[in-house]
Amino acid sequence: MSKPEFVYTTYIETTPERLWHALTDGDFTENYWFGQRVASDWKVGSPYRFVRQGQPSVGGKVLISDPPKRLAYSWEPFADAGREQTSRVTFDLEPRGAAVKLTVTHDDLDERGKTLRDVSGGWPMVIASLKSLLETGHALPADLPTISKETSCA
Amino acid sequence: MPKPEFVYTTYIETTPERLWHALTDGNFTERYWFGARLRSDWKVGSSFEMVRSDGSVSDAGKVVECDPPKRLAYTFINLSDKYKNEFPALATFVLEPYGKLVKLTLTHEGFSEGSKFFNGISKGWPAILSSLKSILETGQPLEIPFEALKMEG
Repeated sequence: MSKPEFVYTTYIETTPERLWHALTDGDFTENYWFGQRVASDWKVGSPYRFVRQGQPSVGGKVLISDPPKRLAYSWEPFADAGREQTSRVTFDLEPRGAAVKLTVTHDDLDERGKTLRDVSGGWPMVIASLKSLLETGHALPADLPTISKETSCA
Repeated sequence: MPKPEFVYTTYIETTPERLWHALTDGNFTERYWFGARLRSDWKVGSSFEMVRSDGSVSDAGKVVECDPPKRLAYTFINLSDKYKNEFPALATFVLEPYGKLVKLTLTHEGFSEGSKFFNGISKGWPAILSSLKSILETGQPLEIPFEALKMEG
């Protein structure tokens, strides 16, 4: 049995360098990731974590860091510590004409766990907001009805 | 084996009415859908076609559901020889207001066993729907070269 994975692809009018920055800079993620600031030195093996309103939500280790092409980190929601196995997120950035193809792969997921449910709902929203911010200069409005449920990463 | 199914969700800063227009107006689709004009009177049971810029029809099927601005469903299959043994699969668009956004969910299902068409649409939809979001939010579609999708054939 292969474990479930979630794959989401989008195309964004930007450069791979800007997209890399948007994925790895805390000021930037706070803007489109509905308040989640990411912090890390982005070296392979280093820790990273997302913090929202002072509360750590998800973290782990940097697994791959090959700017501006490929970034991967382990995914360990703080609220689920010990209850659910660690999963993995990989971002692939590929230039396509004037756009960049971004593929997010979230794998090693627990078959019946809530992480699969959470990320299946959360990624399309986060990536849609990221695309809007890079293309229009503003993220999607954060007053979404189920925002705390779907993007808390916890 | 579960049957192949393609599901894609995105969030667009627009209204359901504008999004509906963008999904059903041939002049509009031509701008973001790799040049394809959609042609239909959008009545249930009517024909549905994708028309290339030279006037030839690339894909065809039938309208199955039309409930503006909430639900749209049609079947279609690409008419090239490589898919001649496949039957049309069903694409359903659901538009839901979501705060100041519209949540758009596309489900494409009902493919023939071992469908090659499924592989093609799985590469095509993310590019088409990304370009749709861009044109509605910025006024400009994406410039993705069709070859860049690396479709087979």
